[in-house]
Order: sequence, then structure tokens, then C-alpha cells
Amino acid sequence: MQQPQATPKKKKKIKVPKVVNGIETMVEIEVDDDAGPGWGPNDKHALLNHRLTRVDGPLKVSGAAGYTYDVRLPNMLYGRILRCPHAHARLTKFNSSAASKIVGVKAIIQTPLKEFRFAGAPVAAVAATTPDIAQDAARAIIVEYEVLPHVVRADDAIRSDAPNVVEGESNLQQKDKRGDVQKVAAALNSSDAIVEAEYRTPRIHHTCLETHGMVVDYSGGDSATVYASTQGTFSIPADAAEELGLPQSAVTATVQHMGGGFGSKFGIGIEGMLACKLSRQTKAPVKLMLSRYDEFVMAGNRSGSWQKLKAGVKNDGTLVGMQAMQYRLGGLGGGSQAGQPYVYRAGEFYREVYALHTNEDSSIAMRAPGHPQASFAMESLVDELAYKIGMDPVAFRKKNLRDEAYHRQLDRGAREIGWDKRNPTPGGNSGPFKRGTGCAVGTWGGGGNAQCKVEVRVARDGSVVVAVGTQDLGTGTRTFTRAIVAEELGLQIKDVVEQIGNSKLGAANDSGGSTTAASLSPSVKDAAIKARLAIAEKISPLVGNAKPEEILFADSTVTAGGKSLSWKQVCAALLPAGVSAHGEWRADLQGRGVHGVCFAEVEVDVETGKVRPIKMVQVQDGGLPLNRLTMESQINGGMIQSLGMAFWEARVVDAKLGLQLNPGFGDYKLPGSLEMPELVPIIDDEDKREVVIGIAEACIIPALGALANAVFNACGVRVRELPITPDKILMGPNGRKAA
Amino acid sequence: MKGSRQPKDKKTRSHDPSRRSFLKGVGIAGAGAAVVDKLWIEAKENEQQTKSSRALSGTVPIVLQINGEKRPVQVEPRTTLLDTLRDRLEPPVTGPKLVCDMGTCGACTVLLDGKPVYSCLVLAVDAVGQSITTVEGLGSPEKLNAVQSAFVEKDALMCGFCTPGFVTTISAYLKKNSNPTLAEVREACKGNFCRCGTYPRVFEAALAAAKNAVNG
Repeated sequence: MQQPQATPKKKKKIKVPKVVNGIETMVEIEVDDDAGPGWGPNDKHALLNHRLTRVDGPLKVSGAAGYTYDVRLPNMLYGRILRCPHAHARLTKFNSSAASKIVGVKAIIQTPLKEFRFAGAPVAAVAATTPDIAQDAARAIIVEYEVLPHVVRADDAIRSDAPNVVEGESNLQQKDKRGDVQKVAAALNSSDAIVEAEYRTPRIHHTCLETHGMVVDYSGGDSATVYASTQGTFSIPADAAEELGLPQSAVTATVQHMGGGFGSKFGIGIEGMLACKLSRQTKAPVKLMLSRYDEFVMAGNRSGSWQKLKAGVKNDGTLVGMQAMQYRLGGLGGGSQAGQPYVYRAGEFYREVYALHTNEDSSIAMRAPGHPQASFAMESLVDELAYKIGMDPVAFRKKNLRDEAYHRQLDRGAREIGWDKRNPTPGGNSGPFKRGTGCAVGTWGGGGNAQCKVEVRVARDGSVVVAVGTQDLGTGTRTFTRAIVAEELGLQIKDVVEQIGNSKLGAANDSGGSTTAASLSPSVKDAAIKARLAIAEKISPLVGNAKPEEILFADSTVTAGGKSLSWKQVCAALLPAGVSAHGEWRADLQGRGVHGVCFAEVEVDVETGKVRPIKMVQVQDGGLPLNRLTMESQINGGMIQSLGMAFWEARVVDAKLGLQLNPGFGDYKLPGSLEMPELVPIIDDEDKREVVIGIAEACIIPALGALANAVFNACGVRVRELPITPDKILMGPNGRKAA
Repeated sequence: MKGSRQPKDKKTRSHDPSRRSFLKGVGIAGAGAAVVDKLWIEAKENEQQTKSSRALSGTVPIVLQINGEKRPVQVEPRTTLLDTLRDRLEPPVTGPKLVCDMGTCGACTVLLDGKPVYSCLVLAVDAVGQSITTVEGLGSPEKLNAVQSAFVEKDALMCGFCTPGFVTTISAYLKKNSNPTLAEVREACKGNFCRCGTYPRVFEAALAAAKNAVNG
């Protein structure tokens, strides 16, 4: 029998972001060109674009939300990892016989590595009946190493006599080279002022409060469930199945709540691989969550940066030329750094981008990979140029930013921070406590891709379920998923239940690159529209045979032709199986490209070098805000994480030992309650695009530059290396304290 | 120094659940603290190993008073209260989270006789005879306390992993000071870390909860 052929649909080509391990690249895809109903005007929603409290809030505030770290299964063993204490070493002896005799130790496995290229590389893993016994056993393993030469600092790694991090390969690898160096030289010659400076940012840590790890529920049968703290439910089963020796279809991954990822939790990771191996060997469930120390030394980090920039400007503020040498400091990994001149028109430009390797664990994606680093350097440089020619920094930015969105956002932010009231002379205020204000801008894509398959089921009793395998990282995915369905069916949030975080449910993309909202919400909307139309068709005879698309669903009532039915009455008229509708992604319901500006006010104590952040304002657009409350929380979160990077956070490494000196919360300083400035998150409602765009990454980009520029405005000291610690301020304007 | 983290009576307590008081005791703070910590731990370990010829493992039965219930449990002398709640009790109590494991982040905060402590710094055997309240004991999803309701209302949570600690700390603080200023709220939760960046809304929630309690 011949399969029925679908009528070929009209197609169009669009560009969408594809995220691999959290890094976004653009790919072209073909999509249907028959747009269904859209979102409608942003100010005409019943639920969306309102302040919706998150649906998992009550569970999270009462300790009832189950995280991977909370899973405890009968006969479960605990895993622990033994790590190499040297930045570069070769294994010469491994003896676990004493360790394996400890009561409660069930398995000890070695990693396949024989040469370790960073301090903290996994050597072996233990499974035991309690976490303490596992730790005892890891300590009791006798390991000897031949210590090899290492290099952990960029300044050392770039020297020609530095040890090679990877044998036979230069530590310096060119990644990009663009522009015409001669044209830049000519442009710089024609400019009225030039600034040449070096900017550096350290490697910083995600410090997810829930460490990486998983619980492998496998007891030797023919299937397994893997509880994973992950940003990608569907990034788990394939690799876990391979390690367990099971078919992929026999492995279910689940993540109901997860304690922070920020780009660091994709795939099973080394810890997941070891957990699966231990479980397979012991035929018992194994929980392997990284310790906090582990989390610092091997769970990834934001790559550091070292940027040598030179730019020229005309007296009217026009940038005419710029050259950049950009080094990405990603340890064993390539690191990431957006190319200069970032979002600015710089006239002629030339850049070279290198990965500079060191004996440190590989950096991985972290919220807006490579952008805060590039933004900090460029926004500092722009500020320096503005001051050099005596131009207002806001006016200077407008002069060199093409996009109108930035102009309106700069005006809005300036009003909110009181830009006009600031003293334009750096360090111009009297007394030892000097206030200053700075600003910066940032951008991100935030578009979606065609992966999410959503099911909406409506039962005869009126209950509604929306099911898709996606994950909620604390961004509010559960809440907007429910809200979209509830709004489409004219119900309240509480009338819909979402099922997420399970690889047996409909496909979903990994939450990386701010792609979740723009990938998921169109599929949810599509499923909800289809459910509405299916119900409408079924009950049309009850409302005067009205056309399904003309039947109104609102206020838990269905209305057409002057007749109204309650939601309960409507659902009672459905077939016993109810209605089940499947939604696919629609390109027309999402967009890409967001803009944000940040203004910051700080107070610098010039006698101690201490900086007190006073106020931060961030204006952020994002098309249709699905939920204003959670969007504001995200903007706050971006500002606060930037605050940490600006003033406190840095991985500190000892050059000689090759070890991290601050692998714990006692010495790695996170932003705390006492350091919080007044935070003003502003959703830019002038953005009238009726599409969903992700904004999480965008929120962390501009604040670094704004804070550094505020410090300069306050005290006249330009700190070009993060974090801006008191010592750097006390060094004075020329980088050296006056004699 | 966070007064509320101090044991109420030092004479009756063999263990002070405050890492800071130890640091203060040796007169060192800041960057040097890490080194001192490590040296201290090593010294303790060496001392224990040389003094004791007996095996360091083994469990003892104890009964803990948790959220109003008597809970028998087997612990090692070294087992922390946090690990006991999460890994040894059956069924477990997992509201308090293990995050830093060194008394800095506050995610494991529980109340001992109404006072907030870092349960990763309290030995289970030291908690015998005291009333232990975890976030689960403050309210349930169906019946939230004023602080929990305010957290939901103000969106004072994102990933939620630090939230039980903040809720517990603030719930205890509002019992002590029912009408706090913003500055007092900041001070009260300076021993709790959040990574997602919920602080401003945590402050709002605490102030709203206080206001609701006064008006209600």
C-alpha cells in the first residue's frame, strides 16, 4: 500500500543558532512558511508578560524540591574521585590493595589516564557504602608520580622557553586573523587621539551550588535510570548507556530540579563516566557528586583573557581604526572570547586571536562565553578614548553604536542612574570617599532552534498536562511552559500541570546559549493552539456550529455564537481519551538579537582602595517577556554575577606549584549580602517585537565595563585587570603609587 | 561575627559550630586563613592517628529530635549533622543542602533549639538532646510559613539550592527581630551565599514577611 503523500509545504530558509557544548554558532535551516496564529501584541496577554510567581516556588522554599544531590536509593553506593596533585605528572605506581580492604569499599577503578596535565586530573574513583568511607579509601590509595615541567601563567606560557603543555605543540595557537593591518595603521595616523592598553580578566568559576554529578540507578538489569544535575536531559542517555553497556533506549535520564549550571553542565562528564563504570562493576546504584574542591579544580571555568588593544579616534568622537591581539586563556582548552571591536563600529580594524594554553583544566562555556571578557576590554577602551578627547562617555557610545536600541537604552539608563548629576572629572569629588558613574553595553543572540516536541493533553475531567523533556535550571521554564498553555486555553496557571526533565518525554534542546525559551515556547504554543482547535472542533455543535478558530477560550469559559460553556462542560464533551496535541517549533514565534546597557555607581575609598557598589541599573530588551518577574530576576542575577567578576572573583594559581590556591568558598570570594548595591532591573518595553528571545546570557555582559568605568570616574584610576581589588586602586593612575 | 551562629552556652558544648570563631581565636583572617585551616586539619589528623591505635571507623546509635519527631539513627563519631540528615536518616531529610562543606555558604543551615547553625560544622553526636528544625519543619508546600510565602511572592529564588538556608536563617532572625531594617536583614543573611543572584529579592521577601507577620 502506498503511503499517503503530504502536500509539499512552502518552505523558507532561516538562520538559527546551534549550540555545541554551550557555544553558539549560526546554521541555516529550512522551515515551513505557513505561520499560524502569532503571540499577538506584547501588552495584550492574559498571563504572559505579567508577573507570574514560579510554579515550583513552594517546593523550593520548603525543601520539598528533589535535586539530583537529594536522591537516595536502596543499596546505593557513594563515589569519590582521587585526583592528581601535580600540574603535570606521569603515573609511576598505583596500589589500591590497602584501600580495597577498608570495610564498606565496593569498587576501585583507575581512569585510563597515565599522564596528567593539570592539578586535579582524575586518577581513580572509589565506590563505598558511605561518603566518608569512599573518602577514606581514596586517601588510602598509594600513588606515585614522576613530576614533569608545567606552566600555569599566561605570561610564562607565551615565552619561547616555556614547557609545552601538549608535547610537540606550541602553547600559542592562532584561532582567528582578520582585517588589514596596513589600513589600520593609516587610520591611526589620521586620528586625533590614540589609546593603547592591555586588559586582563582572570579565570573564574561557575560555582554551581549543586556540584556536578549524577546518581546511576542500575542494579545489573537491562535498563537504568540516571538522575543528573544537567542543563541537557537529552545530553545524558547516549553516553551513560555506552558506559553501562546498555542500549540507549534502555537508559532514562531525569532532572526535576537542578542547582545551577551557568553553562557548565552538559553531557555526563568525567564524573558521570566514572559513576556509570562503578555502577556497572558493582551492579548497584552509585551516587557520585563532586566535592566542592573537585568542583573548583575540574568542573570547568570561564576562560581568562589578555587583550592588547589600540584604537584611534577623531575629535568628534568617531572611532577610525583599531587593532587587537586577543589571547584566550582556557588552560588545556581553547577558551572563548568575542572578537573585537565587539559591538562597536571602529572604522578600520585588524585582530589576531590566539588560544594560549597552560597546565590547567579546560575552560568550558559559562554564561555568555567570551562576551564579558571582550566587553570589559572594549568598554574600558571606549571609555578611555572618550575621556581622552573630553567627550561624554554616553555621547561617545551613541556616536559609535549603530543600533537605535542602544541609544534609547542609554538614555533610559542615564536617567535612572542620574548621569547628569555625576562629576565628569575623574576623581573630581572632594574627600576620601569618591563616587563615580560608568556605563557599558552588551548583546547576545538568544534565538531558538527546531528541536522541541511538546504534547498537550486535555482530559475529560478538565485537567491539562503539558509534557516535554526539557529542564528548568532555575530560569522559570516550568512556569512559562504552563503559562503559555493556560493562556491559550483561557485557563489559570494552576489549571495546568507541566511534566519536564525526563528523556522519555518529547525531545528538547540543551539549555545553552539562552536558547531554551526561544526553542521551547514556540513548540508549547503550537501544541496549545492545536489542542484548542481540536477541542473547538469537538464542541462546535454545542456552540451553534461555530468555526473552531472563532470559538473564544477565556476566563475558564468557552464562548461562541452567544453561547457560553464552562471549561468543565467543554471537557466533559470530549471523547474518553480526551485530546492530545503535538506541537513543533515555529520560527516565526521566536527571534534573535537582544540589547542591554548597564549603568553603575560606585564609591571608592581612596585611602584604603575599597570599592562600595552603590547602584546598578540594567536596561534589557528581549522581544516578548514571557514572565516579567523571572526576567527581572535574571537581569539581577546577571548584574550580581558581573559584580563578583568585577571586584572579587579570580582563580588564584601558584606558578611554582601549579596549584589553585583558592579552591573553596572560604577563599574564592562570591558576592554576598553585604556587598549588594541597589539593583534596578528594567525591561525595555520599547522593544515591540512579538517574538520570544532568550536573555539570560545578555544580562551578564555589560556590567563589568560599567563598574570598571565607574571606578575610573570616581577616583581617576583605570584598573585594566580584573578583579578590581584595593591594591590596584592604591597603585594610582599610572599603575604605580607615586613615590 | 554572626552572633546567632554561636552556641548559647559554651560550657555545655564540646564543639563550636563556627569556623569564624576558630579563625578569630588564632588571630588570623583573610588569605592566611586557608593555610591555617589546612595546617590545622593536618595537625589534627596526625594527632588522632598517633594517639589512637583503635580503628577510626564504627558507628554508634543516637536519637535526634528532628522537626518534632524522635529519629533513631546510626552515626560515626565524625559524622556531621548534615550528613546524618541527608545520608543516614531513613527516610532522609534533604532540605538542608551540602554545598561548601566548610561552614561558609549557609546552604545547610538548620536551627538548633531555634538558633541557626551550619549543620556541616555540627557533629551529629553533639546535636543529641537539642531540638533540630530544618526548612521542612518551618512549613510545607501546602502550608508555607510567612517567610516561605514571601520568597515565592517576591521571586526570591532561582535554582533554589541556597533557598532552604536563606529561608531558615531569616525565619529564625524574624523571631528575634520582628521589624528589621534592610541593613539588619543584610547583616542577618551575610552567612548565606546565593550564586544565581537572588539577594535583592531575598531582602524584599524578608521585609515583606516581617510586615505580613506584624499586620497578620
